[in-house]
Amino acid sequence: MPPQADPADVVEESHLLARVGGGDREAFRLIYARFSAPLFSLALRIVGDRGEAEEMMQDAFVKIWRNAASYDARKSRPFTWAVTIMRRTCFDHLRKRRRIPVTTPLAAEAGAASGLQEGEDLRATVEAAEDSGHLRRALADLPTGQRGALELALFSDKTHAEIASSLGQPIGTVKSWIRRGLVDLHNTLSSQSP
Amino acid sequence: MNPRTEELACLYLLDQLDASERAAFESQMLADPQLAALVSELESTLSRRVRSLPQVEAPADLLGRIESRIDRLADAKFSIAGRRHPLPWAYRWGIAALVAGAVGILALQGIRNGQAVDGRSFAIFVGLDPSRSTSAELPLEKGAPDADARFIQLASMAERFWERPEARPVKSGSSGTGGRGYALFDPASNQGFIAVQQLPAIEAGRLYHLWILNTASGEAREAGVLPVGVSHGGLYFFSVAPSAGPAPGGIDFFVTSEEAGAAASKRPSGEVVLGEQRAF
Repeated sequence: MPPQADPADVVEESHLLARVGGGDREAFRLIYARFSAPLFSLALRIVGDRGEAEEMMQDAFVKIWRNAASYDARKSRPFTWAVTIMRRTCFDHLRKRRRIPVTTPLAAEAGAASGLQEGEDLRATVEAAEDSGHLRRALADLPTGQRGALELALFSDKTHAEIASSLGQPIGTVKSWIRRGLVDLHNTLSSQSP
Repeated sequence: MNPRTEELACLYLLDQLDASERAAFESQMLADPQLAALVSELESTLSRRVRSLPQVEAPADLLGRIESRIDRLADAKFSIAGRRHPLPWAYRWGIAALVAGAVGILALQGIRNGQAVDGRSFAIFVGLDPSRSTSAELPLEKGAPDADARFIQLASMAERFWERPEARPVKSGSSGTGGRGYALFDPASNQGFIAVQQLPAIEAGRLYHLWILNTASGEAREAGVLPVGVSHGGLYFFSVAPSAGPAPGGIDFFVTSEEAGAAASKRPSGEVVLGEQRAF
């Protein structure tokens, strides 16, 4: 699966979700096949424990099954919708357990990413590695404050006020960092695209 | 695009808007193609960030576990409404109760679509045996604002207590004969699970009715008909309409054996077969 969703993939995934909403178990398995690895990786990144990440997967995919009928393709892409469900599930879990989410340094991610699974489609692997490389470079180019605020907003259960407190900055500054970080990241990635 | 709009788009994508802000932003986005394009571009960037995480494959058996859970939830959810266990046609009162149960299910579906429930973050566990009912409050996740999330939590707890009796917060008495079981109820979303074991075989022409009792007022409301004619036990989902009055001071549950062909009644009148013995 290439890291950047193809528009055709988005359309197909929207149709699959519509079928899942109608109770189609085969469509659910196809959605699982497409989303399980990135969502499991996301859960692992947020909760920091493999067993708990498996629990999060079970909860999130049950929610996907039960809520697919309410998915609205005008509001988000299927993958982003699933990511939102997974993030909410993980954050609810963290708030319940009051645990500190584990963060992974970018350098460690780079090492892990280079060890992608054997047997995976070579082209997808190369594309994923290339895209991860682009993204890491683009992230590394962001000012430290922007990068830190954006990563906390995406991978921790902290509110913006809590992020501001942990970074020792006014909340307005943190909101601005997150906005600038995401927009600059987008602009950098867009300029790198062929 | 001005910074304020960009900031709102980021807050939207990072799920940091409350329900009303989110709805307002979505309305604006659906009416403004430029804003929709901005959100789509930023959404793409966030997706790439997630997909750039070191990819870890989920365990091979995880899909099977998820599907088993979906099956169990579906079984539990529909069993009390009778969709999986249709009762004999001749039981007109039973059919009426099934219709009422189906209405309850439909109402529940309605509030599951992201609608919030009130802020109570606990479920009530009631251990049921012939001599007494004993209850305990169990915490639910505070970050479970809608009925769907609470349903999943309740179902997980109910399944765990079913499979591991030693984990139940209240132990059933071991003396005497008659039904045993427990109820797990979320007063915020008015849904719950009832576990029954060792019920006597039901007599012909009768049905087991589940009741929820407000211990302060003594009011009993019917919560459905148990489809236990074959198995004499199981774990079942139920839901009730929200109470019109103030929140009750205490809740109890019991199951009675009611005549199947009797005229519909708002009150229990038969023998209590599960829960504390009462006279009506």
